[in-house]
Parts: sequence; C-alpha cells; structure tokens
Amino acid sequence: MRLRAFLKDKWTFLLCQAGMVALLVALLIGLHFPAAGVAFFGACLLAVSAAGLMAEFFRKRRFYRALAASLERLDQKQYLALVLETPDFAEGEILCDVLRQTGKAAQDELAALRQRQAEYHEYIEAWIHEVKIPIACADLLCENHPGELADSLREELERIERYVEQALYYARSVHVEQDYSVRELRLDTLVKAAVKKHARSLIARNTQLQFDGLEQTVYCDPKWLDFILGQLIANSLQYTAGTPRLTFCARESGDAVLLQLRDNGAGIPPEDLPRVFDKGFTGENGRRRGKSTGIGLYLCSRLCRKLHLQLTAASTPGEGTTMTIAFPKDSRSLLQD
Amino acid sequence: MHIHLIEDDGKLRGELVKLLEREGYRCTFEEEFEDTARRALAAGADLILLDVNLPGEDGYGVCREIRRHSDVPVLVVTSRSTELDELMSMQLGADDFIVKPYHPQILLAHIAAVLKRAGKPDADRAQYKGVTLHAAQGRAAYAGRETELTKNEQKILSYLLRHAGRIVSRDELMQALWQSDVFVDDNTLTVNVNRLRRKLEEIGAADFITTKRGQGYQI
Repeated sequence: MRLRAFLKDKWTFLLCQAGMVALLVALLIGLHFPAAGVAFFGACLLAVSAAGLMAEFFRKRRFYRALAASLERLDQKQYLALVLETPDFAEGEILCDVLRQTGKAAQDELAALRQRQAEYHEYIEAWIHEVKIPIACADLLCENHPGELADSLREELERIERYVEQALYYARSVHVEQDYSVRELRLDTLVKAAVKKHARSLIARNTQLQFDGLEQTVYCDPKWLDFILGQLIANSLQYTAGTPRLTFCARESGDAVLLQLRDNGAGIPPEDLPRVFDKGFTGENGRRRGKSTGIGLYLCSRLCRKLHLQLTAASTPGEGTTMTIAFPKDSRSLLQD
Repeated sequence: MHIHLIEDDGKLRGELVKLLEREGYRCTFEEEFEDTARRALAAGADLILLDVNLPGEDGYGVCREIRRHSDVPVLVVTSRSTELDELMSMQLGADDFIVKPYHPQILLAHIAAVLKRAGKPDADRAQYKGVTLHAAQGRAAYAGRETELTKNEQKILSYLLRHAGRIVSRDELMQALWQSDVFVDDNTLTVNVNRLRRKLEEIGAADFITTKRGQGYQI
C-alpha cells in the first residue's frame, strides 16, 4: 500500500479537514487573535490530523503487507483465508469475512469435485477388472473352437484388450507412487515376458525377433515396464507394413543402461519426431492409418518419467524407428528392501 | 494330472475345463463357495487354480487356508495386477500368479512350469505310433533305432505328441514354442520341421508328421 494511494482514497476527508482549519483560522482572525497565535493553532490542528492519518496508514499497511506476504508464501493460494489474521479495522474485517466465505465455498466445491473424481476413478478401475472376465472368456472360447472365425475374432479381442489395458494404466498413472515397487530385473526376462504376452499378434504378422546383449540388470518396477514394452511392441507392429523385424538390444552407455527396440517400420518424419510423446499427437503416420489415438506414446513417456527412466525416439523414415529406454545406473538406490 | 478349479464365473470355468481337458489334464471344480479351501483339499488335486475374486469369500483367505494344511501347488488368478495383489499371493504361499485376461497358451505354460517346479513333471504323452521321445536324453526312438534331436526339434515333437491325432496349426505350434523361449519365425519353423522329419525318416518313421495344406501339421 502506497502512501499516495492511501491519501487519494482519503481526499474527501482531507478536503473537509482543510476546510475546517480554514474556517477556524478565518474565525480567529475575525476575532482579532494575534497572527502568530493563529498560525501556531492552525499548524497544531494540521499536525494532529496528519498524525491520526499516519497512524491509520501504518496500521492498514501492516495488514495488507502481511496479506500480500502470506499470498506470496502459499503454494495453494486458495488456502489464504485460513491463514488470515483478523485486523483491527472495519474494512479489513469485512474483507476477511468475505475472503473466508468465498474460500470456504471454493474449498467445498473442490472437495466435492475431488470426491466425484475419486469415485469415478474407482468405478473405472472396477469396471476394467470386470470387463476382463468376459474378454478372458471370449479368448478361451476362441481357443476351444478353432477356425477362421475364431482367428479373426481373436484379433479383435486383442485390440479390445490393448485398449482396456491402456485405459487401466492411464487411470493408474495418476498415482504411480502408490503402486510401485522397484526390483532387480534382468532385461532378457523382462523383454521375453513382454514378447510372450504379445506372441499372438507378433506371430500373426510373422515377426522376426532378435535379442542382443540383454544380459543386463536394471532396477525398476516390472509391471509398469511390461506395459511400456507392450505399447512399444504394438506401435512397431502397427507402423510396419511388410514383415516386421524387431530387435531388442541393450548396452551400457555412460551412467545408464540403454534398452533399445528397433523396428523396420515406416519410421517417423523428422518434423514429427519431437512431438511423438505429446498427448493426442498422431502425426503423419497416425493420420494415414487413422487408428492412432495419440495416447500410447504419451502414456509411455509419462510413466517413464515417473519411474525415473528416459524414453527417447530416433528414426529414419522408410527404414525404421528405434525407441530407447535409459535406466540410470544409480537407480539401484531406488531399490526398497 | 489333476487340476482343481476355483473360479466363480460359470462360463469361463466351462471353457477352462474344456481347454485343460484337451491338454490332457483331469479337472474338478467348485460351484459353491463355502468352505472352499477344505473342499479343494478334499479333491486331492495336483494343482489348484484359484481365482481370488470370489463372491462371498476372500480368495486370499482360501489360499492361506489351503497352504496351512497342504503344500499342493496353487496358481492364483486375479483380474487386478496391483503390487498388493501380487505381494499378497506370494506371501500367502501361492506358487505363481497370473493376471486376467491371460492368453490360454500363457496359462498353460504357467501351469506346466508350476507342476514342474513342484516336482510333478507333466506326464507328457511321449509315445505315439511307435515313435518315442526321451526328453531327458534329447532323443527320439523308433523300432529300436535312435536319433538325436536339437532343442527346437524336441519341443516341436513334444507338442505334436501331446496333441496326437489333432491338426496343429503352424501359429499354434509357434505360440507354444515361444512360450518355452524358442522364438522361431515362420521360415525357421519350416526348416526345423523338415529336419525333424528327415531325422525320423532316417530311423524308419517315414511320414510320421503329415502336412495338412493350409491347416498345419498332424501326427
């Protein structure tokens, strides 16, 4: 609060004061008081007014400064009303009261929304677990009644399954921290498990697999990593027109272990490359194929960040894409006993 | 080999039974879920397949109860893949853990692995029409003559023997091989099958594996 602003607000009061002093001075002069006395009296009156104003100015300034400082300090500004100290002047009291009431209303609204979101979240997770039962059942039906129809149906089921899994991990990605446990993992075990899980679609496309140098150990959560690998594998298959050739290789590089998945697919145009991990980005390839949601890679990179991994993409259009997951070597320190 | 199913979804259970019986397992199952653990034990199975999301009863409680009285292998099935679920299953003494929806081939691979670990190796049908597979020595025998097989050839022959009489599609065969860490592609499979055929022919079992055009193999 600046003094000038304060005085500007007080201009009617100041005008009245000045008028009153002028009146008194005129009266005293009319009553033939000595000029020196009149001047002294006028000065005294002005001094008293000024002192009163200053006292008020400092009191208010203290309050508003404390208010501004609290606001500055708070990470969540909406809690301002909770840390307010009630001032000793009427305007401040009104302000505090208003702030408290609006703050509380906002809090209530927020709490209701959070509650609703948590309930929806819970419902989505429960729903996903429910829907897995008929999927498993349909899968078994296909297995038990082999034939052309079953094969074709199974491909659709796999797509459903992939979308369901994506939804589950999307829902869960909000609180990775609560469902996360770091273990010592061998990359070959991990990669082979992911490959086995996607065996059917890989075999249906007659994929050639190659493993190279996967005898490395990393420290990470297997469940999330399995999902990420699955998404990357599905992506490679989706953007490869001919016979897919997937190479999984690992090597050490500086202070990280790099796991790479190389494919011989369409590749990503250089102008699209920086944005492939953006939410909703489908790019040239996605648009052409029209089946891209722009969620898969976004989710992968978000999960990687939460898992302290680094996911990067490199590509030569027409030759293929290499996705790299970097496991920092010091991630061993994340290992919980 | 006898598997006892604890699964509340009737249709799923029916299909599981079909699948497992086709693979040569004998199956029993529960339809009511009271006192499940005791009844499962009474079934005297070699392996219990337990879905932990049961109506009215806590699946983990069942698992603990089974483990308290017996060390029969338990394979836990769940539709939740959270850390907690896995931890619970393992701490309560389950032998393995698989998440729905599982692919049938993966389920079968898990079952075989659990049985093997429990020292109940799958009683593979190792003989058909005079051809015998001695898996331990990696040999096939026919009419007193023997031939040595590579790992891939053994796995192929073993799968065909297990499904003797039925047409096995190339995709199915490849899926089964992949589940046992043999990641062959189409060409390699052809080469391996042809080599296996030649070896069997050398010991006198000519035309043991027949090709059904566009369908797969049959013995």
